Amino acid sequence: MGSSVRKVLKENEKKKPKKTDNKRWASPLVFLLLFIVFFVLLAWYFLFMRNADTMYFMQDRGWWNSTSIFWKDCTRLPGGFLAWAGAFLTQFFYYPALGTALLIVLFLLSFCLAKWSFKVPDEWSFLIFIPLTALLCSDIQLGYWVYILRDIDYVFYHPLGLFAALLLSAPFWNFLPVNEKAKSRIAWAWIPVVAALFYYPLGVYALLAAALVAVRTSWKSLLILVPTLGLVPLLETSGTTLMRPDQPWLYGFHKFILDDLRDYSLEIPFYIVLVAPLFFPFIKLIKTKKLWQSQGIMLGVAAAVLSCLLIRDFTDYNFHAELRMQRGVEECRWNDVLREAAMVKGPVTREMVMFRDIALINRGELCSKRYAYNNESIPPVTVSDSIHIRICDQAGDLIYYNYGETIFGIRRAIERCMHYGYSYYTLRVLTMCAIVNGEMDNARKYLRLLNRTVFQKKWAKEMQRFVDDETLMLTDDHFRMPLRLYNEGSELVGVDDKYVELTIMNKWMYTITNDPEAQEVALGCAMIMRNQQCFWSQVQQFYNINPGKYFPIHVQEAMLFGVYELKMEGINLSFVKFDQRVVDRYQAFFERLNQYSKQGLNEKQIGAALRPEFGDTYMWDYCTLREVQTN
Amino acid sequence: MLKRLFSFSLLICIVAACSKHPSVPSSFTETNMPASIFPDYVDVTVPPNIAPLNFLVDDVDDVVAEFKFQDSKVLFGGRDNKVQIDEKEWKELLSSARGKSLSVKVYTKKFGKWLAYNPFSIHVAEEEIDPYISYRVLPPTFVGYDELSIRQRNLTNFDESIIYNNRQISQGLEGQCINCHSYQNYGTDNMMFHMRMQNPGTMIVYNGELIFVNLKDESMISAAAYNSWHPFLPIIAFSTDHTMQSFHTRDISKVEVMESASDIIIYDVKQNRVQTILNDSLELELFPSWSPDGKWLYYCSAHYEYQKGYEDTTELLDQYRVLQYNLYRLSFDLETRTFGEPELVYDAVSRNRSAVQPRVSKDGRYLVFAEGPNGLFHIWHTSAEAQMLDLKTGELVDTKVMNSPLPESYPSFSSNDRWIMFESRRDDGNYTRTYFAYFDKQGKVHKAFEVPAEAPEFFRLFLRSWSRPEFMKEPVRITPRQFSEKALTEPIPVSK
Repeated sequence: MGSSVRKVLKENEKKKPKKTDNKRWASPLVFLLLFIVFFVLLAWYFLFMRNADTMYFMQDRGWWNSTSIFWKDCTRLPGGFLAWAGAFLTQFFYYPALGTALLIVLFLLSFCLAKWSFKVPDEWSFLIFIPLTALLCSDIQLGYWVYILRDIDYVFYHPLGLFAALLLSAPFWNFLPVNEKAKSRIAWAWIPVVAALFYYPLGVYALLAAALVAVRTSWKSLLILVPTLGLVPLLETSGTTLMRPDQPWLYGFHKFILDDLRDYSLEIPFYIVLVAPLFFPFIKLIKTKKLWQSQGIMLGVAAAVLSCLLIRDFTDYNFHAELRMQRGVEECRWNDVLREAAMVKGPVTREMVMFRDIALINRGELCSKRYAYNNESIPPVTVSDSIHIRICDQAGDLIYYNYGETIFGIRRAIERCMHYGYSYYTLRVLTMCAIVNGEMDNARKYLRLLNRTVFQKKWAKEMQRFVDDETLMLTDDHFRMPLRLYNEGSELVGVDDKYVELTIMNKWMYTITNDPEAQEVALGCAMIMRNQQCFWSQVQQFYNINPGKYFPIHVQEAMLFGVYELKMEGINLSFVKFDQRVVDRYQAFFERLNQYSKQGLNEKQIGAALRPEFGDTYMWDYCTLREVQTN
Repeated sequence: MLKRLFSFSLLICIVAACSKHPSVPSSFTETNMPASIFPDYVDVTVPPNIAPLNFLVDDVDDVVAEFKFQDSKVLFGGRDNKVQIDEKEWKELLSSARGKSLSVKVYTKKFGKWLAYNPFSIHVAEEEIDPYISYRVLPPTFVGYDELSIRQRNLTNFDESIIYNNRQISQGLEGQCINCHSYQNYGTDNMMFHMRMQNPGTMIVYNGELIFVNLKDESMISAAAYNSWHPFLPIIAFSTDHTMQSFHTRDISKVEVMESASDIIIYDVKQNRVQTILNDSLELELFPSWSPDGKWLYYCSAHYEYQKGYEDTTELLDQYRVLQYNLYRLSFDLETRTFGEPELVYDAVSRNRSAVQPRVSKDGRYLVFAEGPNGLFHIWHTSAEAQMLDLKTGELVDTKVMNSPLPESYPSFSSNDRWIMFESRRDDGNYTRTYFAYFDKQGKVHKAFEVPAEAPEFFRLFLRSWSRPEFMKEPVRITPRQFSEKALTEPIPVSK
């Protein structure tokens, strides 16, 4: 009995280490779960909290609709199903939180699939997140490239592709009731089959799936893989008329090319997405002698993931502000646009200036508040020097529309569609232009298409009211001012040479109109362009149509400046009612200017010194900001 | 027995559910109104070999159309708001109704109630239409050419294929512009089109063989542009021109295209030789077009004298309204291959109009052309219309019935003269579509109809234009790959 008890105790002693084993087993899982939580939080933070405006914008410049035409358009090229499905899912960034959640779910599904498929042990499963991090980087790194992406499906195309490749390479044949030899044969046969069957729906990701099957099988399978990768794209695209002969092998791989420039750095994530999964089958072969080794590497990878995301995140303030202001203009949230303009600390882009001016025009404050905002301009800061972004490629059409230049708006919208594809945004602009022009059949066409989308139906329904009853335009913020400017603008013929701002200013400063609101725009443009002849003509016209009314503050400043500083001859200001505060500030400005000048300060220093007190005046703008830079 | 009866009833139900023919609603209300269908096929005359005229009715839940000819009738529709006709049955229907008329009665269902509309007719002509057309497919762009293709469509069914797509050898902003496809006498063994920018040159198919030529030398003001094959000789007439465009700020015509200088040349395909025919510096000659007998070269020309005495695009921009074209012709001696003096054929300027793109009927009696307020790109002019001149009487034929308040342009005759094809923007004002009108032996033009589409809403949703349609008796046989491979070779220069 005693011996048997001792035996049992001994056996229990033997079992003790098993408890330790359990700990060892649990520990990697806990760390893995922590890593997953870490990744999910990072994805949420970078996609939603830092880049919600960019993600919304990317969906807005995307295009999906439920017509068979769109389906055929997508599926006539390799990767067609991914393009269609990617475009469909990208729509969900209409609500950035929803889109982000969907993308994270897809990432997690890919992770689970890879872990299961390649039997990746818990302690090394964090390595699967490397390509997923690359995908995350690809969404937040773009900066101004978002304006010129032709891919309507950019955000979801590659995550879906990776998921599909993992799914198609999963060893489902192991479940078949056949012997090992037969399973091996099936795996070999699956390599060309998966490539051939799925090349058109999945493009380069079908080839990745074939490669994954090969690397998980044996090195001998390369004998099948190599000819498969060479021949399948070649044969399947032999009849296509939609691509160059050099393109089939990497069709769907995103290249950042504009004219003769190519930004390879932005392509790095996609190389990682295509190459990293090929190492998944080998992760299980890593021998873990001590757990802290894998945990240490996990921490290193976590730090690297965070660093990559921080480095790749495009944080330029103006870029994000432009996106928000554009949306504000489209939604007629003039106060939000002006709030955004007031918050900017440094120099602004010309597009921001134009969005702000549109908000001021709609509030009737162009000539009374414009110079209270920063007009110091810089060109857009691009992620690399490889692209030169111009307003006409950004939101030139929307800006034209808001100045009543609907024909130029249509021209720029269609031109951009030709270069970068149709989008919800473009169709909305085209719709509004068509409504203002009275081209209702054309507007109906665009509304029909927008009605076939998921999130644009509401907008389309709202616009249908104006198609059915044009008089509603007179009181609606979307149309009131553009229609007024369209009606009051002169009919000319000309070209814009891609200079949106100059074209608008040059037209309006010469436009003589009896409409008070449109005339204030003309007067404002003459002031912006600093054309004295036009300015005084517009001043005269303002006086003619607003007898007895005070001139707006900036106009008063500009008149004093014109007569006393620029020495305009033949101007009689006796008929003008000046605000005494304006006169006092004007005098103080020049007293201070002369004072600083005598102190030997240079022009830049004088400008900086005067800014706190006089930075909101026309005089300061004129004397300090020498040139109107436009792009 | 009960089981058998049940099975039989089930079978009937399944057959009825799967049937492509709906039935006439058991109860409906007569409206005494014509049905409003898209595309508008009400009372049109169609060729006996045309593809099914599928259509839809807006804002209804269901539609059934009863096609009736003499004692036989067949019903289509019954699936949402579209009527899509079986191709085989349609052909049988047209074949039996050739030279006569079909009656179509439309029933629509909304909120569970059926309405019946007054029947309309579809007249089936005796004469067939050429089985193929080709056209350029592109967004209604002004400058860009990233996405262009020349396609061909079989009019007897819905088959469409690509002749050439510019994405085969170039992509993106550095794309390739392709334009001005044309054929010799409706055949495709001799045909051509131009390529611009990337790999520029003129792609010519001569007796089935591909030739890639650089149709530009120092004597020409530009590379060859608008063209016309001689009906049987291996020569092509071209205009060469300096093209420019300018945009309106309010006018919904949107754009004015102008030629600040233009001449007419002929190119001998066999000899690879160019010869200038018209180069009067005070005349802007354009759109050469051979008569089907090959003895006349029609063209249009605008008289313009630059104030400065030399080509000045800025001046012309201001004068775009006065730039109006008349129609002229030159006699051509087939033996000596020499041309006579210009003869005025149609004085559009005296009517304060501008006539361009002339095409002569095979019998030589009629001339169709596009007429607008000014300039040459009438597809942008809302008042532009397809016109027809009776060369025998010098009178205009009444073409109101085939025109619309929106632009019409680029008319041409089918090879048997009985069908006029033109492009129109009547659908929505901005996207160009192809229309056909019957032109009967008595010289009367009939109501036009849109090229049939398999999905009736296709042209409403399609965001690209079909421009510059050309009739063909047969499809192009050279493959897109053959064209693209040739385009990658160096074009041969022309000799003087």
